Amino acid sequence: MSESRFAHLMLAPAGVWLALIFAVPLGIAVAVSLGTTDPIYQAVYGWHPGNYADVFDPLFAPVLLRSVGFALATVALCLLIGYPIAYYIARFGGRWKTLLIALVVLPFLVNYLVRTYAWVAILSDEGLVNGILVDIGVTETGVQFVNTPWAVIGGLVYGYLAFMILPLYAALDRMDPSLIEAGKDLYGSRWQTFRHVTWPAAFQGVAAGCVLVFLPAVGDFISAQLLGGADTYMVGNLIQQQFLEAANWPFGAALTIVMMGFLLIWMSIYLRSAARASREATA
Amino acid sequence: MSTHGYAERLPLGRRRSRRERRRDFDRPRFLRVFFIVFMFFTFAPIAIVALFSFNSTRSLQNFTGFSFQWYDEFFSNVGLRESLMASVEIALVTMVVATALGTTLAFGLVRAQSRIARSSNVLMLIPLVTPEIVAGTSALLLFAQVGIDLSLLTIMIAHITFSISFVTVIVRARLSALNREVEEAALDLGATRLQTLRLIVLPALWPAIIASALLIFALSFDDFVISFFTTGESPTPLPVQIYSSIRFGVTPTINAIGTSMLVISFLILAVAVALPRLLGRREEETVLIGRETA
Repeated sequence: MSESRFAHLMLAPAGVWLALIFAVPLGIAVAVSLGTTDPIYQAVYGWHPGNYADVFDPLFAPVLLRSVGFALATVALCLLIGYPIAYYIARFGGRWKTLLIALVVLPFLVNYLVRTYAWVAILSDEGLVNGILVDIGVTETGVQFVNTPWAVIGGLVYGYLAFMILPLYAALDRMDPSLIEAGKDLYGSRWQTFRHVTWPAAFQGVAAGCVLVFLPAVGDFISAQLLGGADTYMVGNLIQQQFLEAANWPFGAALTIVMMGFLLIWMSIYLRSAARASREATA
Repeated sequence: MSTHGYAERLPLGRRRSRRERRRDFDRPRFLRVFFIVFMFFTFAPIAIVALFSFNSTRSLQNFTGFSFQWYDEFFSNVGLRESLMASVEIALVTMVVATALGTTLAFGLVRAQSRIARSSNVLMLIPLVTPEIVAGTSALLLFAQVGIDLSLLTIMIAHITFSISFVTVIVRARLSALNREVEEAALDLGATRLQTLRLIVLPALWPAIIASALLIFALSFDDFVISFFTTGESPTPLPVQIYSSIRFGVTPTINAIGTSMLVISFLILAVAVALPRLLGRREEETVLIGRETA
């Protein structure tokens, strides 16, 4: 058997699996999103584009906008926090680099649900922080932290920050620090050095990090479920409700497809840069 | 800035212009403080969960004394124990199947020289960047359409689907770094393709295969969203169980479950980091020895 035939044979098992259980279900989701429900809440195929009109109904459109807004705020905060951390380790970590980056990533290996729950235990009305605040007499009734947009965004940042730090670190670590010295020696201002030396090196990491944080943040429903309330629900909560509580699968599927379509733009940016990176690596 | 001004200021010691102080932004001192504060905020919540899992009372505000009662409650509760076993079962099956499928896919992607293989190299990244809720709902739709009742099996199938790409990415990296000449030599000496694969390629890939297998175990064991959509009535995996109990209120037992899960994940990842190194060293030796005696 020729090498190429053999290799193509090896592509088959996983290829068939992914086609059947990843690609086909997305097709089913599209079909169901155009369907309707019968009296016992079973999804029935049909042609009801109205499901998509419902998605942009004034009742639900704010939820979509909120999801995107929360996710963008999460990306911005992750970049603001993650950049100095990644920069510090990449430039000043020295021989402790690997240890430091492992330490930074370690908390993110803890189950996301448990980590979000930890913040609930700390910030809830009868949580740790409010206990302390009442004890030392700052307030009598406690401060409401949970159930606010910032609690939800905070939960998302705490959930996905590692996806920002790792690509940033990878990009900054590749940068030759003597280039910064050279920039300074050539009388470049701090801004000029950043703009012409650090930024071009960091850019790919920034782009990858932003997409990798944005994608899961838009679809998240745990943070809003545990740290927020009905006022802070995101599209993930809505989808979850339609599938598991309201039993309106066609509308849930339409929401999923709209979200997926929106995210495809971001995915293609990421995939294109990944493809370029792999071409550069093999070239 | 002029040398004159600088020299003048030096004897005064610590007094520096505002402009110079701003420059510290670029220096480790600001960054170091930022880093320490950051570490505090990322570790504190987990430390608090772990600490209060040993509390002797139900309080989440005051640590009143040390006890194992919440762990006792976790392990003596039949439902929770079944959930734990279900999670382990799912993770094991997912690990074995996804690792096998992902490794063959990696081999095909690296070695097949065609347009299909090249575009598959990028396409197979899609499951990695698809939000879990999309993955979960579409898997649920598939099972409902085909008429498969939700059970541990459906969770396994869904987990395998989203684990394959992780394995492929890791194994592919190692595979493309391999020296092809050893394989060609084996083929020249009359080995079949399968023999070459088993005797030459697989031994060299073991570290990557084991690392990705353990990663998949950890990911599957920890997964909530996909399990949530594809789970049957009972037993449900541990994260789903945690979620439903959190919704009924915060209890110290969850602290104990969370802490146990954390320990399990850390152990697996520690093995994942350590094992390939140990194996890797031995494997490099055998390759060298093999070359010398050949």
